[in-house]
Amino acid sequence: MNTIKGLLLKNLYVFKNFKGNIIFSICMFIFLITLGSMQSDIFTVGSILFLIFFGMNSISSFSYDENADSDKYLLSLPITRKEVVLSKYLFVFLNSFISILVGILVSFIITVLVRGKVNNIGDSLRICFLAFTSVSFLMCANVPCIYKWGVEKGRMQSVIIPALFIFLLGIFGSLLFILFPQLYLNIDLLYVFKISPYICFALNILFYGISYLISLKIFLKKSI
Amino acid sequence: MEYNLEVLNLTKNYQDFHLENINIKLPKGQIIGLIGENGSGKTTTIKAILNLITYDKGSIKIFGKDNYNLTKEEREKIGIVLDDSFFSPILDANDINKLMKNFYHNWNEKLYFDTLKKFKIPYNKPLKEFSSGMKMKIKVLCAIAHEPKLLILDEPTNGLDPIFRYEIIELFNNFVSNKENSILMTTHITSDLEHLVNEVIFIDEGKIILDIPKVKIDNEYGIIEVLANNFSQIKKDDYIKCLKYKNEYYFLVNSKDEFQKKYPKLEIRKPTLEEMMLILVKGE
Repeated sequence: MNTIKGLLLKNLYVFKNFKGNIIFSICMFIFLITLGSMQSDIFTVGSILFLIFFGMNSISSFSYDENADSDKYLLSLPITRKEVVLSKYLFVFLNSFISILVGILVSFIITVLVRGKVNNIGDSLRICFLAFTSVSFLMCANVPCIYKWGVEKGRMQSVIIPALFIFLLGIFGSLLFILFPQLYLNIDLLYVFKISPYICFALNILFYGISYLISLKIFLKKSI
Repeated sequence: MEYNLEVLNLTKNYQDFHLENINIKLPKGQIIGLIGENGSGKTTTIKAILNLITYDKGSIKIFGKDNYNLTKEEREKIGIVLDDSFFSPILDANDINKLMKNFYHNWNEKLYFDTLKKFKIPYNKPLKEFSSGMKMKIKVLCAIAHEPKLLILDEPTNGLDPIFRYEIIELFNNFVSNKENSILMTTHITSDLEHLVNEVIFIDEGKIILDIPKVKIDNEYGIIEVLANNFSQIKKDDYIKCLKYKNEYYFLVNSKDEFQKKYPKLEIRKPTLEEMMLILVKGE
């Protein structure tokens, strides 16, 4: 457990390098959300902005490790390949999760202070959870590409693979719609939206689980 | 004899490079220097020992166990310096301490900070602002601060000034003085090994070309410098290899007393490891 703690700490230290930028960005977001809240309820938008801007920063820890060839050094210490991969996934997840939590908290406080209350908070939180799941999908598609090709070489694949997946999913959905139009008419979208947090929870476990296993398989075979 | 490290017939084939039948036996209390030019296979050997790459043939035992079967506790008894790999350059010495104490149960913070002070390494300055010598100092410090039994050092004196090289050689000598610890170090700065190692292994193009105790080099090996016009007077069977440099020939012999008897007029002197490496690799 200590090893994972140390590896998480190592990843976290990456943010030291741009802590000034982070503080400045948070201040800017607070200012913009405050300004936006004066016009309308932007609780959801504010929360998602935080997630998109800060939640995907964890990729930079891969970049720093690659530049310093840190994996080689880490694996020569009493650290296993499994622990290195696991710590990266924990870091990616925690970074996204904390980003959306902070986003929700900041947006909530500002919205309540400026507008007195948040409208439809349940629906807003559902949308935040959907956004979080989308970011999880992107990150979980990115990480195996990085393990396979590296941060620089894997940049293109990190875009192409999730795009291809979404494209194929779209085609599959369209085919279903053409072949079984009745199926869509029977779906209660409102009900799906209501239970979306559960679906998202399951999807997050699925994305992270599959992605972790793929990355581990790649990393176990990799010559460092 | 008990060994901290045994490499037996290690073979690794790449498309354009082959490491062939590398054998290293590192007893307790000894230091072995692995010498060779860049690209000779030193780092590949180290990588195989550290299980960073798979190998095609052979076996590697550390503390008597296959290197891929070592427990975490056993791996904690190894200290590592890698020339081209370390933590991210945005970390400072304080951060590194916080990380390392999570990786090693035996991490000795007092030793770490005392040595930082001794080495004059700043605590709060990021590694990216360090000179290459300072970076190497902190790498060496990270390799010893958990009080290991085996040090595996890949080019540990790279970028160091002569004073620190002297200090570090003292440190390594102290490290093995308990007769339990051992060091395997690679280098192409052979002068560092002159007063440090017990055994020298010369490696070239993936093969060991000479594996010899240092004391044998000191007592039995010799170099003879001969002007080009006197070259033919030395018979081929009486030397190992010779190298022509400018207007002189340098002959390496492995039995200087016998050679002296045959050629009493020629002057023989002790070879440096650098000269030996040059003649063995480039000579004929």
